[in-house]
Amino acid sequence: MNPFEEKLRNALRREAAPEGFAEKVLARTRGLPQPGEKAWRQFGAFLALPVLRGALAAAAVCLVIAAGVVHHERQERWRREGEMARVQVRQALRIASVKLNVARKKVREINRETPPSRLKCAVHERPQGVIT
Amino acid sequence: MTTATLQQGEEGLARFIRGDATAFADIVQEHQSMVFSIAYHFLHDRGRAEEVAQDVFLRLYRHLASIKSGNHLVFWLRKVTCRRSIDEVRKLPKAPPASLEDVAEPAAESPDLDPLLSRGLRRMVASLSEDARAVVVLRYQEELDLADIAEILDIPVNTVKSRLQRSLEILREKFHRWAGDVQR
Repeated sequence: MNPFEEKLRNALRREAAPEGFAEKVLARTRGLPQPGEKAWRQFGAFLALPVLRGALAAAAVCLVIAAGVVHHERQERWRREGEMARVQVRQALRIASVKLNVARKKVREINRETPPSRLKCAVHERPQGVIT
Repeated sequence: MTTATLQQGEEGLARFIRGDATAFADIVQEHQSMVFSIAYHFLHDRGRAEEVAQDVFLRLYRHLASIKSGNHLVFWLRKVTCRRSIDEVRKLPKAPPASLEDVAEPAAESPDLDPLLSRGLRRMVASLSEDARAVVVLRYQEELDLADIAEILDIPVNTVKSRLQRSLEILREKFHRWAGDVQR
């Protein structure tokens, strides 16, 4: 730093603030919300509003009702699907039963039409002791 | 800025965050001289400088929750004080450039007498353009290096360097003419 810069540095050294400066600043900050707490305070005050409390309670009730309706709907759908499956199984069994009856009938008819000699031959071809 | 001052700043911030109402008063006490002096050397008017300094501390009060450390606090104060001072200068109607007659108050016998010399130099600084003034005040009052000044004023380091050189040339020239007048 050369001599001129040194002079400049001395000329621009810090000055004391005027008397009572800090008090004036603090007086102007009075009434202002404290920073940092501001958001929490506002949020707390907002939550404390009776209208908001009522709205929150109503929203909670609505939520519970909606959850109940959804649950009931789901149960009902499962019940309907189960019922439909039961009907389909019954129908399948009925069809199978009809088909079996037809087959048995045909077997009986064949047995009735075939002569006994031919039946004997058929029996001899089988291993002994199977037909009593 | 000494380590002790920074530690006090950190402590003040921590106390303020904990909700200590007196912490802000301590922060103001700690930094009022710096803020007031920057504004005063900028505006060369104690009343307006006090107004600007109060405004800076009120802004600090609103933003204190976002200040992260003692270093950050000092940086923030310097930056906001410079900006606020520049705004204050620009708000006023342009004054005619200070003549040497305005600058010199050769009432004393010797120009080397400190108070006279200092007063003359302060007036010369106040006659510089706002941008040049900011660089000179931060350099010689706050004794900051060029990189710090660049960061505070948000300008490149080379701009700081050229503004400082140009300002020193102007000030030196004015000073020599003034000193010659005083000696005559």
